[in-house]
Amino acid sequence: MKKRLLIGGGIILIAVIYLLYLSFGSSVSYYVTVSEFYDRIDELLDSNVRLAGNVADGSIEWDAGEVELAFNLTEGGRDMPVVYHGAQPSGFKAGSTILVEGKYGSDGIFQASQLILKCPSKYESIDIE
Amino acid sequence: MTEAGRIALIIALAVAAFSIITSIVGVRTESARLVKAARNGILVIFGLYTLALAIILYAFFTRDYALTIVAEHASNDLPSLYTLSALYADKAGSMFFWGWLISLFAALLVLQAGSNERRTVSYAVGILAVIEAFYIALVTFKVNIFEVYPSSPADGFGLNPLLQNFGMLIHPPLLYIGFAGFALAFAMVIAAFITRDAGAVWNNLMRRWTVFAWCVLGIGNLVGMWWSYNELGWGGYWAWDPVENAGLMPWLLGTAFLHSIAVWGRRDFMNVWSFCLVVFTFVFTLLSPFITHGGIESPLHGFYGSPFPPFILGAMIIVIIASMVLLYLRRSDLTKAGKHTSLLSRENAFLLTDIILVVLVCVILIGTVLPRVVEALGGAKIAIDRSFFDRTCGPIMLLLVFIMGVCPLFGWGKSVWKHAGRNIIFYILALIVVSVAIILTRIGNWYIAVVVLCGLPLFVIFREWWRGTAARRKSTGKNCVSAFFAVINANRARYGGMLAHIGIVIITLGIIASSFYNVEKTATLEIGESMSAGKYTLSYNELVFKQDSVRISAVADMQVSVDGKPLAVMRPSYAYWFSHDDIFAEVAVRTTAAEDLFVSLVWTDFDPADKAATFRVLVNPLVVWIWTGGAFFLVGGALAITWREKQPAGVEE
Repeated sequence: MKKRLLIGGGIILIAVIYLLYLSFGSSVSYYVTVSEFYDRIDELLDSNVRLAGNVADGSIEWDAGEVELAFNLTEGGRDMPVVYHGAQPSGFKAGSTILVEGKYGSDGIFQASQLILKCPSKYESIDIE
Repeated sequence: MTEAGRIALIIALAVAAFSIITSIVGVRTESARLVKAARNGILVIFGLYTLALAIILYAFFTRDYALTIVAEHASNDLPSLYTLSALYADKAGSMFFWGWLISLFAALLVLQAGSNERRTVSYAVGILAVIEAFYIALVTFKVNIFEVYPSSPADGFGLNPLLQNFGMLIHPPLLYIGFAGFALAFAMVIAAFITRDAGAVWNNLMRRWTVFAWCVLGIGNLVGMWWSYNELGWGGYWAWDPVENAGLMPWLLGTAFLHSIAVWGRRDFMNVWSFCLVVFTFVFTLLSPFITHGGIESPLHGFYGSPFPPFILGAMIIVIIASMVLLYLRRSDLTKAGKHTSLLSRENAFLLTDIILVVLVCVILIGTVLPRVVEALGGAKIAIDRSFFDRTCGPIMLLLVFIMGVCPLFGWGKSVWKHAGRNIIFYILALIVVSVAIILTRIGNWYIAVVVLCGLPLFVIFREWWRGTAARRKSTGKNCVSAFFAVINANRARYGGMLAHIGIVIITLGIIASSFYNVEKTATLEIGESMSAGKYTLSYNELVFKQDSVRISAVADMQVSVDGKPLAVMRPSYAYWFSHDDIFAEVAVRTTAAEDLFVSLVWTDFDPADKAATFRVLVNPLVVWIWTGGAFFLVGGALAITWREKQPAGVEE
């Protein structure tokens, strides 16, 4: 009795492992900073990448008509131009720490599929008046 | 006065140590006096903890900014309603509040147990005292929750506007109540394993606390999803973020535990599955703060700079090791479940359900911690997209829905062919036919098969209800309505479970519809222009600017119409908050049973001369069904909780 149940459980496990194997390829992306990306650019050129950096001051361009957001992601002294076809997420402004998910385009511009803002810290120092 | 709060906690810690020692010594030396002292200790801890809580809440409500915790999360402009949420917006505050709930439930347990089952309850008391001591120590010594500024600021930093919402007022407490309830179930099962002796009182209490914890935790997760949907503006309710998973995993394990204890009668409580499930449910309730306090990086939400994760991890490891040691010591007393049952019996169906739930939790766990593990092992830093979870967990959850439908067909100990009616076999055949037809003809898509799949549990439940009512009517001669309620009354746990299952089906349908049939449009409009989404046309009529001490907001006036007929006016807003130097949007949602019209104002220039604004409009079908499913959990849970041990598990009318 126990054996049959273990076989049943085993089948489920194998099915799930297969599902895992299928999903990993497209769901996993390299998580790098902007400077790390440029250092490894040959390797990461065609991969799904999650870039970490800050929104560079003065780089935000919002085309309301086309609903297109362009900005520079900066980190470690390097800048990456990013284009995102969608509205700016809540909390998006110069200096925000942000994660940009997408692929590097052949024209040198990073095409973002997703913008993930890091929640503003709740523990900023308070001005004691 | 705040000093008194800290002293109260330190005394409570000492009393906890006292309770731990006297409970164990009392049982072993059979000293009724010591056992009673241990139980009184639990009540004293609750009293002291409540005193500390009252002092902190008083400081919050009077905006006493001398206290660091108040200054960091409250402010003069914070509405009184959200003062309580400021407490658990704090890393130490949340652990403090949760620990208080454990002390409350432990005290309730002691009062409920009375003088029954002294030995088992004594050990449970000792274990709960250990747990409570852990929480108190964290907020007294590791971080001093009563920490005071050298000089008192004039105003506090305030609560993040995203948290100033009813959902966030009740979501954390509901989760903590669920977690605390499972801590109780854990303590009780461990105690029963130590004494190898648990009677009717223990059984009743343990089951009721488990149902209660499961129900509240489930609703707590749903409220979190509701908050995310209505407040965060992205129009979704679940992103498989580590913190979200942290709340889901203990609930899934709790579900498995709940099903495992439904199977065995009181005498079979010492079985390895139930033991492991309750242990890991409790461990995963600890994994939750580990993740939320930064143990696993989560971009979306969590506490920053919290020193708790290493201690929580340590606690988890200790609990696992200690529990496994106990299991090993009691290995000869374990019941061999499923000995006399055929392959297709209900016991095995429940076991299969539990296996699948555990596999599901493993998959979610892997997806959640893998990036961190890979990084720690020196590999590349990776990120896992939500599609991983959607693609693996989706099918597993649908399999669970299927089993949920098929399970009631199985008899206890008997095989399915004898018990199942022919119509159910026809239903399953219909499902297969529909699926094959969809694949072969490519008309429609597999979601239709899923809807048919969801119908199976509903069909089976209603059939069971019908048969039960008919049988009762025949044997007692009552009319339909009385028989209907009488059958429910006699089998409360069973029908409570059925109601919860109906809730699951409704939630599943809501998730499928809103995930795969939704419509999204983003467009920038000038005043007077329109956009359409789904069957709706939205006209941008006006933009009104408002300002108060807290923020300056732009409120858009959108006229919604269908086929030229005006339906409603929706007013999404876009506000800049001065204190936070940040922008927060308030979405406008129009909910009907069929779908939600979700409108978000995502950009405008705050320029009276140029009122161009960008709108993101979503049409999400059946979203309200997700929240309605929660109502079924509530009713089902409330019904099941009133169950008493008069009828053994599995007896049918």
